[in-house]
Amino acid sequence: MGEFKVHRVRFFNYVPSGIRCVAYNNQSNRLAVSRTDGTVEIYNLSANYFQEKFFPGHESRGTEALCWAKGQRLFSAGLNGEIIEYDLQALNIKYAIDAFGGPIWSMAVSPCGSQLLVGCEDGSVKLLQITPDKIQFERNFDRQKRSAVHKMLVDRQYMGVSKRKCIIWGVAFLSDGTVISVDSAGKVQFWDSATGTLVKNHLIANADVQSIAVSDQEDSFVVGTAEGTVFHFQLVSVTSSSSEKQWVRTKPFQHHTHDVRAVAHSPTALISGGTDTHLVIRPLMEKVEVKNYDAALRKITFPHRRLISCSKKRHLLLFQFAHHLELWRLGSTVATGKNGDTLPLSKDADHLLHLKAKGPENIICSCISPCGSWIAYSTTSRFFLYRLNYERDNLSLQRVSKMPAFLRSALQILFSEDSTKLFVASNQGSLHIIRLLEGSFKHLHTFQPQSGTVESMCLLAVSPDGNWLAASGTSAGVHVYNVKHLKLHCTVPAYNFPVTALAIAPSTNNLVIAHSDQQVFEYSIPEKKYTEWSRTIQKQGFHYLWLQRDTPITHISFHPKRPMHILLHDAYMFCIIDKSLPLPNDKTLLYNPLPPTNESDVIRRRTAHAFKISKIYKPLLFMDLLDERTLVAVERPLDDIIAQLPPPIKKKKFGT
Amino acid sequence: MVQLRPRASRVPAPAIVDEGQPASEEEEEAAEHGLLLGQPSSGAAAEPLEEDDEEGDDGFDDEAPEELTFASAQAEAREAERRVRESVRRDKTLLKEKRKRREELFIEQKKRKLLPESILEKLTTAAPTKACSRARRSSLLTPPSRIKTSSGKLKEANLQKKNEDSEKGSDSKKAKLQKVQSVGQNKSYLALRLKDQDLRDSRQQAAKAFIQNSLYGPGTNRTTVNKFLSLENKRLPVKKAAAQFLNNAWGTQKKQNAKRFKRRWMIRKMKASKK
Repeated sequence: MGEFKVHRVRFFNYVPSGIRCVAYNNQSNRLAVSRTDGTVEIYNLSANYFQEKFFPGHESRGTEALCWAKGQRLFSAGLNGEIIEYDLQALNIKYAIDAFGGPIWSMAVSPCGSQLLVGCEDGSVKLLQITPDKIQFERNFDRQKRSAVHKMLVDRQYMGVSKRKCIIWGVAFLSDGTVISVDSAGKVQFWDSATGTLVKNHLIANADVQSIAVSDQEDSFVVGTAEGTVFHFQLVSVTSSSSEKQWVRTKPFQHHTHDVRAVAHSPTALISGGTDTHLVIRPLMEKVEVKNYDAALRKITFPHRRLISCSKKRHLLLFQFAHHLELWRLGSTVATGKNGDTLPLSKDADHLLHLKAKGPENIICSCISPCGSWIAYSTTSRFFLYRLNYERDNLSLQRVSKMPAFLRSALQILFSEDSTKLFVASNQGSLHIIRLLEGSFKHLHTFQPQSGTVESMCLLAVSPDGNWLAASGTSAGVHVYNVKHLKLHCTVPAYNFPVTALAIAPSTNNLVIAHSDQQVFEYSIPEKKYTEWSRTIQKQGFHYLWLQRDTPITHISFHPKRPMHILLHDAYMFCIIDKSLPLPNDKTLLYNPLPPTNESDVIRRRTAHAFKISKIYKPLLFMDLLDERTLVAVERPLDDIIAQLPPPIKKKKFGT
Repeated sequence: MVQLRPRASRVPAPAIVDEGQPASEEEEEAAEHGLLLGQPSSGAAAEPLEEDDEEGDDGFDDEAPEELTFASAQAEAREAERRVRESVRRDKTLLKEKRKRREELFIEQKKRKLLPESILEKLTTAAPTKACSRARRSSLLTPPSRIKTSSGKLKEANLQKKNEDSEKGSDSKKAKLQKVQSVGQNKSYLALRLKDQDLRDSRQQAAKAFIQNSLYGPGTNRTTVNKFLSLENKRLPVKKAAAQFLNNAWGTQKKQNAKRFKRRWMIRKMKASKK
């Protein structure tokens, strides 16, 4: 494989924002998650829990409620009093309606899916009709005549009970007339709506119980507490023969450290998310039919896309945050050592640039050119391109003004290898090619969106010789365009799982595609067919441990001098695939550590296979080959993220 | 029958029904007159009358008092009334004039501040497409077809609207959101009333503060992340230090100054050694 010097980078101060609302859609098995900074992410639970789409956040847009309506329509309501509908095909916001009632605290959809109820600050509940294009205001219920017409009415009340006012965080209304409320005193209370009396009172926590979600069959519900515990309540019969049922607290789960502010109940799993930014999906064992690896706990912590870009020539890293970009130069060392040594730095890593984004919107994507002279980033409304000039030790930044309007809301930005061209994939599905000149630009061409629906965020890859451009994201497959002749060259056949990473090899022009179910394909662009190696591995199948990995592959790169090597990584491992070596079957060890040097050659030959996996650096956010002998690995230890979260509830333990 | 001296009959009380008008002196005198004259016709009572008259006469003791016929007294009283009424009317008209002048002055001032008529005409007639009124009053809530523009455009829209607002006063209470086609330029923007935006912002802030207070305010049982992560370290058989033992944020300014000073000192030293 070779010896590499690895730049271990831990100064990327990435802190995701906490999860505020979670909504599950049964028909398409998708999960919508909204965060405190206003970002809404869509996870495809059947595609190995991959985050396929997201809508960037906005400073003034904090969601309080999120729900799915009939026909895959997503609505959210927030404290700024607006109801927003998201367009899942064009990947932008369709419209925002002001409900004229002050901050909206809660929202619910009627069971038929055609009406929307919002509960506003001024005490009124407004009913809106969902029409094919928009939503329309229908009726307004005042505080007194709030008739419980719809089944699931999740509302928010503020009741003064004892010295410290008790706040009811969530209410669920069942079809048999039971009302379940969870409040800040740690109680789950069952009320009878006909008589208005308290039926049962469960004290389950010392802190607030902040969220509740009921399953569709109404025989179980889940609540989340501020201590991070999630409780599962089920309707079980009193004795095995009787028909009388009662609600019993069955299972506690402790997967979070901070408040669990949102829970959802799918037919087979409990989903919870909170201030500690993890999304936890816990399949229920009694509901899962096949007990295989799919029934394991899934914890989604790290992003499923790349937030870091690298300039290989100048050893620069560009970090993308929600509202600013940071440019760092890697340190250097002159020492040498053996395998496993830590070399002292002769020059420290340098924080070159802190670029604040203008406006309240979040940055969608960013990129730095390989030569390090251009930085580009995009928000929903604007596109920014900067020219960097390096004079000995100083750095000067110059903004290229008057960027064309069609470039805004770009999903992916990529520079060509020689930094003369800029490729931008916009959220309308079109691809733009811009030629970069000294201090200005020229729009070369726009590829119109091809047929097929948008399945996930577009990913781009360009070949190092600048001839080919690959774009993924639609249901039609990966399109490959000829940049020199500006036309579509071919389309890789569609696969039913979304693409997570894409790259084109230097000399052979093989397109390597990684999908969310951990399959890796290699497609030869000049020959317009899959390569031999790809067919072989598809026939044999990947190792079962490879397929059981949790996190998607986010970056693929290649060695300039060794065309048989593919370097890829996910959050917990990085792997160099050597196409010349034999493939492992299910019986061989996948993760074989480096054998000690005094091992015999026979054993080494027996265990050698194509997948060289290393788990030394984790959790990995980014890994790339800088030159033939150097790697850069950007890690983000989980403790560093937790250290910057809001305060959790105090837990008193004996002896401390 | 005793022939009584002809006495003026009781003059009816002056029927001046003016609201709020203070009784003038003439009126009072007239009332007094009437009262005096209206006394019961008894001999004993008649005498003081004569005495008064006599005193008023100033010397003419034996002279008979002036003959005050009923008609003359009535005429006098009527005169007095008329005068009072005139004065009241004059006051009223004076006040009216004053108010009129003031109004005109205000209208003048307003006119001066308003934009020229032509621009106002253009703005109002050039396709006000969807004016949303308060939901309570109308049953249909039609949203604007264009979503809110970017923050940049909104700011300039707000500025324009602010100017218009201070001039128009409270005319546009009903129309909260108006999509207005701009005059001359080819951009379209969304004009918002700034007062509503402030109200909405303040409500949003209040709501956010409520959540923050109920989750992290006083009375909640919160601890720092450092203490939370160090709980296990405390209970290990060999106690370890806290998870964030070092406070790296301490003295950042001091450390920066020290670094700068060191760099400068090194440069100076190198220069000195070169010489």
